[in-house]
Amino acid sequence: MSSRCRVELVALVTAMALIASGCDRERRAYHQAPEGTNPGPALTDFQPGSPQPKVASAIGQQYQQNAYHITQGGRLYRWFNCNGCHNNGGGGIGPALMDDQWRYGGSIDQIHSSIIEGRPNGMPAWHGKLTDMQAWQIAAYVRAMSGNVSKAAAPSRREGLAATPPFTQVPEQPPRGSEASAQSPPPQ
Amino acid sequence: MNAATDRLQATWSDPPGFIGWLTTVDHKRVARRYIATALGFFVLAGLLALAMRTQLAVSENSLIGPDLYNQMFSLHGSAMMFLFAVPVMEAVAVYVVPLMVGTRNISFPRLNAFSYWVYLFGGIMIFVAFFMDVGPEAGWSGYVPLSSSDFSPGKRTDFWAQMITFTEVAALCVAVEIIATVMTMRAPGMTLARIPLFVWAMLVTSFMIVFAMPAVMLSSSFLISDRLVGTQFYNAAEGGDPLLWQHLFWFFGHPEVYIIFMPALGMISSIVETFARRPIFGYVPMVLALVATGFLAFGLWVHHMFATGLPPMGNSFYTAASMLIAVPAGVQIFCWIATLATGRLHLRVALLHVIGFFALFVLGGLTGVMLASVPLDLQVHDTYFVVAHFHYVLIGGAVFPLVGALYYWFPKISGRMLSERMGRWQFWLFFVGFNVTFFPMHYLGLIGMPRRVYTYPAGMGWDLYNFISTVGSYMIAASVLLLVINIARSLRKGEAAPADPWGSPDLSWAVSSPPPSYNFAHIPVVTGRHPLWADDNATPEPRLPVAEGVREDRREVLLTTPVDATPCCRWALPDPSIWPFWSALAITVLFVWSIFDQWGIVWGAIPLAITLTIWFWPKRSDPSLKHDEDEHTDEGRDDGEPRHAA
Repeated sequence: MSSRCRVELVALVTAMALIASGCDRERRAYHQAPEGTNPGPALTDFQPGSPQPKVASAIGQQYQQNAYHITQGGRLYRWFNCNGCHNNGGGGIGPALMDDQWRYGGSIDQIHSSIIEGRPNGMPAWHGKLTDMQAWQIAAYVRAMSGNVSKAAAPSRREGLAATPPFTQVPEQPPRGSEASAQSPPPQ
Repeated sequence: MNAATDRLQATWSDPPGFIGWLTTVDHKRVARRYIATALGFFVLAGLLALAMRTQLAVSENSLIGPDLYNQMFSLHGSAMMFLFAVPVMEAVAVYVVPLMVGTRNISFPRLNAFSYWVYLFGGIMIFVAFFMDVGPEAGWSGYVPLSSSDFSPGKRTDFWAQMITFTEVAALCVAVEIIATVMTMRAPGMTLARIPLFVWAMLVTSFMIVFAMPAVMLSSSFLISDRLVGTQFYNAAEGGDPLLWQHLFWFFGHPEVYIIFMPALGMISSIVETFARRPIFGYVPMVLALVATGFLAFGLWVHHMFATGLPPMGNSFYTAASMLIAVPAGVQIFCWIATLATGRLHLRVALLHVIGFFALFVLGGLTGVMLASVPLDLQVHDTYFVVAHFHYVLIGGAVFPLVGALYYWFPKISGRMLSERMGRWQFWLFFVGFNVTFFPMHYLGLIGMPRRVYTYPAGMGWDLYNFISTVGSYMIAASVLLLVINIARSLRKGEAAPADPWGSPDLSWAVSSPPPSYNFAHIPVVTGRHPLWADDNATPEPRLPVAEGVREDRREVLLTTPVDATPCCRWALPDPSIWPFWSALAITVLFVWSIFDQWGIVWGAIPLAITLTIWFWPKRSDPSLKHDEDEHTDEGRDDGEPRHAA
């Protein structure tokens, strides 16, 4: 009897520890209050004086680790006709999104800011058309296209014709150039 | 206690302490923890139902949000079906069948232990997942495309699909054991025409499991590979088919209903025979009805899919098949009624539950015939009418007999009697509470309340009936609480049970309560359908013939032929082993790993292969492999001729 109790106790403690750690990956936030003003991430490595440390926002991290937000981003990606120019990530009128090349930065903050503010040569500013939450969701989905989200949160195949391999199978391609230098000071 | 039983005790008992607890292969110990675990999952899933009923008590309630509600009803259904109903029936069989057929252990005892650990780990996994917000969310039937990656993002549905794999592996193991036990280990003389009806029911159930469960394992594996590596099994746009899921799922899902229901039929037969104090009326039609149900159950799954737009010809066929199954069900009900009507009734709590079953199951059967007709099914599809129907057949048809069986076999399992007075309270609370909960749901469904909604607007005319239903659910909860108290109380200070407290006819009551580790000191020999009854008036039979010649210094049992049960050879069963436990742990690692990464199947197979290899590696030190040096001296006695014990 005592040995059985011990087993149960160990199981209980383990379970409690797991529950306490929680699981942000699966949380579903259907509505979210506005996040406040986005500080606006730097879009280039050029800066005056000595390199300043860049801080990635915690908001973006939450979105790109959450399965629901990424999938919802995929839905919005098509509803707002992102695929009209970017296709399924391979690019067309607009640049490709599934590779490691980024003109205005490939971190989720930078993608979010590109969506909200728009960019020269055709990318419209979605400010006022999308809620902030929706812009973050699309940005998280765009990150997933190049394999830059957790595989446990990435969506697999869509219901529909498959244009790209499922994102669970896309190899991770960290952004070349801007983001790498945005996260760490450039070599001296 | 003489020298022979001392030797048997030394051979068959487990090592003491924690190691013995972990390594045991005794079917009684494994079954006991199987039953306790299944009842634990029943209580957990019941609490989920209680929470849902609380949420639905009033309109526009905001106690539980839609996301959590989805997970709750999905886990409630999945846990009730996969973690409670099927396992608990098999668990009772694991306990009772070897005793009923008069042998010393279940066949493949290590597989039995393995099955329990796999089941336990799978159940723990899904509940831990639920508490971590990764619970299932697409209903217990997990229809695609709702359960596809597009509409169920994250790992929630993957955990659900893998939970199914766990429980199906466990169920298949037990099914194989029961088939082998019934086919080869029956006591000498127990021909096919003398098998107790519960054993018949479990034999048919086990065959059904063997044929039905692979379908759902296949469908859930397709689902998980669609979700993980992007296969297209269920993607219509790429040439897959969402209906494939429904066909595979219901090809399992409908027999599943009978897999749950058929052991209950066997339990009812045992209880009715005992408490009516006469042999069952129409043994042969009863057996034929069981077998017919087993076959027909595989021919009517499409009645779950009438709303999917299948050809009318198919719909008509499955309507006819669905109505046909009422025939064997009716045969059995009339046989029981005839037995009860002509018997001398002892109205104990176990029999009360059986009588409750008659009332509820007939009601559920009537709505079943209604749902089997296509026009009505299309009207009430996905409404509370369906919810009412399947709770009537599942709770009325399986849980009532199960609780009755619990009262009936509790003395055998624990050595103590349950309180009859508390049992009567518990029964009436359950019976009334059940009807108060589920009867209004018929009406709710007919006036259009859909199932699986987390709330509903005021002014639809649904409020009162939902409130009544919620009140009823608390009565059921009170009844289950009474049952738990009753069990806990009598485990501590219940009246000690004699070997045969009810005067039952089958072999399981020939041994003490609880039975010793070796079950029977001598292998009994059966000369009729009711070994413990001298005549048809249930007069106790004072002398039970036995066979001798089975060795006591290793775990030896007597194997008999499948039809006539004539002894054919002696066979040594394996000893306790830790390796089923480690194998189950390794398979758990493989299954959980494969949720996150397809390479988990490859790398996870390595520890599994190692543990299985060690498990099956023959060791010279195993007493079961002890060389049979006194073969010649035993030969003369190994003829299984009946001898009368002193």
